[in-house]
Amino acid sequence: MKAVGARLPRYDGVGHVTGRTRFVDDVRIPGTLWAKALRSPHPHAGIKRLDTSKAEKHPGVHAVITHKDVPRNVYGHLEALGVPADEPLLADDDVRYKGQPIAVVAAEDEATALEAVELIEVEFEEREPVFDIRKAYDADAKPFHQWGPAFPHFGPYASRRIRKGDVDDAFERADVIVQGVYRPQAIEQLPIEPQVGLSVPEPDGRLTIYSCTQAMYFSMGVVAAHLEWPLNKLKFVGGTVGGGFGGKVDTATETITALLALKANRPVKWRWTREEEFLCSSTRAPWHMELADAVTSDGWLLGRKMITLHDAGAYTRFSSYGVTKHSFHHTGAYTIPNLRFDGYVIYTNRSPTSAMRGFGVTSVSYAVEIHMNRIAETLGIDPLELRLKNANRIGDLTANRVRLSDPSTVPVVLAAADRIGYELGAEFKQMTSEPRSGDLLPDHLLTSVARDGGAETDGRGA
Amino acid sequence: MRLTVNGIERELSTRPLDTLLNALREELGITSPKAGCQQGGCGACTVLIDGEPRRSCLTPLVAVDGATVTTVEALGEPGNLSPVQAAFYEQYGLQCGFCTPGFVLATTAMLERNANPSREQILEELVGHVCRCTGYVKIVAAVEAAARGDVSEAALEAGATGPSRREPEVLVPGSPA
Repeated sequence: MKAVGARLPRYDGVGHVTGRTRFVDDVRIPGTLWAKALRSPHPHAGIKRLDTSKAEKHPGVHAVITHKDVPRNVYGHLEALGVPADEPLLADDDVRYKGQPIAVVAAEDEATALEAVELIEVEFEEREPVFDIRKAYDADAKPFHQWGPAFPHFGPYASRRIRKGDVDDAFERADVIVQGVYRPQAIEQLPIEPQVGLSVPEPDGRLTIYSCTQAMYFSMGVVAAHLEWPLNKLKFVGGTVGGGFGGKVDTATETITALLALKANRPVKWRWTREEEFLCSSTRAPWHMELADAVTSDGWLLGRKMITLHDAGAYTRFSSYGVTKHSFHHTGAYTIPNLRFDGYVIYTNRSPTSAMRGFGVTSVSYAVEIHMNRIAETLGIDPLELRLKNANRIGDLTANRVRLSDPSTVPVVLAAADRIGYELGAEFKQMTSEPRSGDLLPDHLLTSVARDGGAETDGRGA
Repeated sequence: MRLTVNGIERELSTRPLDTLLNALREELGITSPKAGCQQGGCGACTVLIDGEPRRSCLTPLVAVDGATVTTVEALGEPGNLSPVQAAFYEQYGLQCGFCTPGFVLATTAMLERNANPSREQILEELVGHVCRCTGYVKIVAAVEAAARGDVSEAALEAGATGPSRREPEVLVPGSPA
């Protein structure tokens, strides 16, 4: 135990303060070409014609790639889990978000690459875009996605479902129903290092790929799948990431620089501009969450009905995974015995969304905590005491029937109250996380406490 | 174009209207100034021009003909850090490191002008630098430590033989560390 209680020097600190840390953009390989993408100017359009011949002939251009150059153009991160793919690496017959890459050029320098992009001819047929998840799920909405308005592959269902207890009975027995709709919006992760990748063809036929990804082996698999290559022909160099915050989980530049490098037989670097980061990179998703809680006048949460619409943007990426995490957390830090939850992944003509710090969970925490305040206000009871009363306790079962062994709701609420000098009632000040008994184990919670102290399930099921 | 970069006089062939950032990175291979936004918004490309912090991404090369340019590479090197570098290292005023050269240079220039800045002056001076990892608390602590001269010998010598291999300092006497 050398680390606990010690101030350990950062192993990378000297490199950072002396400017010696080598980020991807700092790698110098002689003969490196610059990549620039032609991106869709429309949020939704058909592509009627695509002609790259003038760009290819432009002096200084070494390669131009379109969907035709990708051995396997449609590949999805979740295919390994049996979920079919929906996103093309380069747009084929339509574009579904503004900024979607259509063709990419590799040229001697950045300026030449930009000139060549201007020479690519595309004929679009503009189509009506949809930007709001609630409207996209209206009965009369016209879905643009081949799978319809919502991701249909949660097992046999079109939503991530949780069914627990008897929610209709809970709503029958409730003194009050408290409802709320919560809609947090998209957030750009905004690392200071923009997306950047550098692919180098090696004399032995392999590719060395310098990557700023947060997920090296994920990206390696993605590149190999698109190229239809074995993994042992790829060497990834990474681990030095100039900030990611979830925004570098998707494989943004590696596959495209790899294809360009192979076509040009030169090293190719693609560094996004800040504008591209904002316009085209994945963001945290917008969410639409509808909550209805069955509560008693003395502050017990008997049941919760919840519908979540998650904005995937134009393609699925990791959205179904995010909604699954979201579903597990939809009771927040509280124990609610009767539940009906449906989480939908909805397609809109926005940039595809992805991970950001607490993927899928921050949205539901935001909704649940505001909703708790709303319940307290409706009942006229103390908001912290409402939280303590319904707090997770040792032995409680979560929404997805995992037995809690070390919940922290009670100590956290007590510590917060203490720090801000908040006066709690005597019975609440004494509260602990110990298993429920007496007044804190009313009949309606009997089914929410694990029998024999064992887990009902192992909690898996993402 | 002629520039004195980190003490060495250089004759540059980068086009005069190209940016100082590109000249440093692409022609001279000095990569500590980062292309974070290339719009003057993030501060990651900051260099010292005649001692003053400037955004190299917004500076045309022709505008600094004959100037003296300093990047973080010239402040100190592994094993011999400048006090500001040592303070950022020791106080954990960094995480991913991408914005760090800009912060270190801006801090160095500020302390040249004002050896004892108030907290408000520190915040004012560094307001043009964006860090997305740290939340700034540790960065401000590092600047304050540098201003106080509160920098250990070990930090000044950090990295002397590659990555630091020093044993961790013990906080709790008698602990098994």
